[in-house]
Amino acid sequence: MKDRLLLLVYLVLVVTATLVHDARLLLAGALTVTATEFGRRPQSWVRALRAALPFLVAINLGFLIVSKGDLSAAGRVLPLVNARLFFLVVLVFRILPAIDLQRALGFSPTLRFVLILATSQVLAFRRLFGDFEQALAARTTRRPGLRTSLRQGAALGAFFLRRAEHDATEITQALTARGFFLDRD
Amino acid sequence: MHIPDGFLGPQTYGPAYGVAGVLWAVGLRRLRRTLDPAAVPRLAVATAASFALMLVTVPLPGGTTVHVTGIGMIAVLFGVWHGFLALSLVYLLQALMFGDGGVTALPVMALTAGLGGTAAAVAVHRACGRWPRPAVFLAGWCGTVVPAVLVAFVLGAQPLLAHDAEGTPLFFPFGWAVTVPAVVLPHLLVGVADGVLAVLAWRALAPGEDAP
Amino acid sequence: MIAIEKLSHAYGKRTTLVDVDASIDAGEKIVLLGSNGCGKTTLLKILTGLLEPGGGHVLYDGHQVSPAALRDKTVRRRFRREVGLLFQNPEAMLFNPTVRDEIAFGPRQHDLPDADDRARHWAAQVGVEDLLDHAPYTLSAGQKQLVCLAALLALSPRLLLLDEPTAALDPRSTGWLVDFLQDLPQTLVVATHNLSLATELGERCLVLGEDHTLLHDGDVASLREDTEVLYRANLVHTHRHRHGDQEHRHYHTHDWS
Ligand SMILES: Nc1ncnc2c1ncn2[C@@H]1O[C@H](COP(=O)(O)OP(=O)(O)O)[C@@H](O)[C@H]1O
Ligand SMILES: [Mg+2]
Repeated sequence: MKDRLLLLVYLVLVVTATLVHDARLLLAGALTVTATEFGRRPQSWVRALRAALPFLVAINLGFLIVSKGDLSAAGRVLPLVNARLFFLVVLVFRILPAIDLQRALGFSPTLRFVLILATSQVLAFRRLFGDFEQALAARTTRRPGLRTSLRQGAALGAFFLRRAEHDATEITQALTARGFFLDRD
Repeated sequence: MHIPDGFLGPQTYGPAYGVAGVLWAVGLRRLRRTLDPAAVPRLAVATAASFALMLVTVPLPGGTTVHVTGIGMIAVLFGVWHGFLALSLVYLLQALMFGDGGVTALPVMALTAGLGGTAAAVAVHRACGRWPRPAVFLAGWCGTVVPAVLVAFVLGAQPLLAHDAEGTPLFFPFGWAVTVPAVVLPHLLVGVADGVLAVLAWRALAPGEDAP
Repeated sequence: MIAIEKLSHAYGKRTTLVDVDASIDAGEKIVLLGSNGCGKTTLLKILTGLLEPGGGHVLYDGHQVSPAALRDKTVRRRFRREVGLLFQNPEAMLFNPTVRDEIAFGPRQHDLPDADDRARHWAAQVGVEDLLDHAPYTLSAGQKQLVCLAALLALSPRLLLLDEPTAALDPRSTGWLVDFLQDLPQTLVVATHNLSLATELGERCLVLGEDHTLLHDGDVASLREDTEVLYRANLVHTHRHRHGDQEHRHYHTHDWS
């Protein structure tokens, strides 16, 4: 219940952020959300800034270039876009870590089942990918060239696709063995 | 190619949630009703494979690296329905679990990449079925380029769809003149990487290979 | 309880089992030994009715075991209740939101009234009672394996098939598992490539060779003396030993893990 409520709060705040068109209000919102991190260092601020920075830079630089340095146009457009983006990213870092996705989206048993299996596989594949990267880093001294990268990428791709086929069979067998399809004709 | 929250207005994500929502509901229903015991496991592993493929990077001339999308490979191996649902799940998990990409962008990504990309990839793969290698290459290429074109279109439409009384854009501030070259041109190259990767991966996947 | 008659199997052109004959009586604790790729997993999956035998057949209490035979609902219900398989990769078996639900899944599926009590009981038995409210996919490999074991035991099966159950466990947990399995009343088949585990665990030992035939069926003590079988099954190896300035070569195992 707590998770579903939090997710709802998050979604409502996101939608609200796209309906408010006042940069000062949005920044105040970001500050308020950060201030709810009682007693801890305001981590979401820093992390949000770091995550949003590439987009903020791209948007602002891009706008200045496209408008050929028209500062008055920039003054009208950019504060709002920046503030909104920043508020939304702060929301992500403040609220999402507290939500258990499986519980929040558990209203449909099928969806929950799909999500659990998918999450478990995604985490497993991410771990494997990390292993590959570390193994590669341990074996190479220079940044690989295009040809090597493509070959490594293809090897990774083939590995994950084959692994996916294999795991699908394995999971289906495990579900069968555990009586998941007991009543199916 | 992840769109963060704050770039798309409610005029865009509202309808997108409507359309994608219907498709998700239909997809879940099909999963619930199917008699194929492997349907859900296949969806789960397609999601994981898609997630892993998106982590693969290729260097571009100039010293930067880009992520491939792997959409073409997923589409050809798992089909449009599973591809669409798997990519939707990837974007959902990325947005809500890893804080990467926005929840307002989720339905737009699901429709452009998950549906547009996989459908295009499967279509060209079928159309070129007689020449397996070009077919796989084109599937990989289309799986990346078609979503890029669609995303550029949606992003570039923001100033038209959402502006205040004086015409000042409220969300993403660039029109098509900027988004089309900025988003599509690099993805023409990424598409080539995706295509080559798909061909090489396919060769490695050739029948007679061992299960892992 | 189980009769395996002239059982063969292949994945396409890849042979996995050749003419395997064996029978298993209720209450036996059997170790299925073989090196990697010799067909242990395949055999366990055929015994669980997940794979169709290529030739020959498997009987469980005189009834045929195969995916086709298990299409009958009453047969399937009884069989899935009485026979449990611990997969080599336990990740494949986990699909519930919490450890509690995971262990209670089987009992609920079979409409047992005390599913939650069983979950608590078996979680405590395998030592994961502190994890009951955790999501299984967040656990370590060893913990996942224990949860899966508890999930199987929660149904009080008659026959328990375990595929390399010690692969993810540290030595202390392995020791614990050996004792734990010894004390279970169930008929057990444990697949492993670890000869010393066989010595500790089983009274009887089946050895699958690299040619996918059954090389040995008998007690562990006589197997340990049969170096030729052990060598053919790739369960022992030789390499040089130096003791001071003496050098010699003999068959032996390394009791890793
Ligand atoms: N799904 C599969 N498709 C094709 N070959 C497989 C499959 N599963 C296993 N094999 C092959 O069958 C042989 C026996 O495998 P397995 O029964 O898993 O051996 P073990 O469990 O003793 O290591 C191996 O050579 C393996 O590569
Ligand atoms: Mg095995």
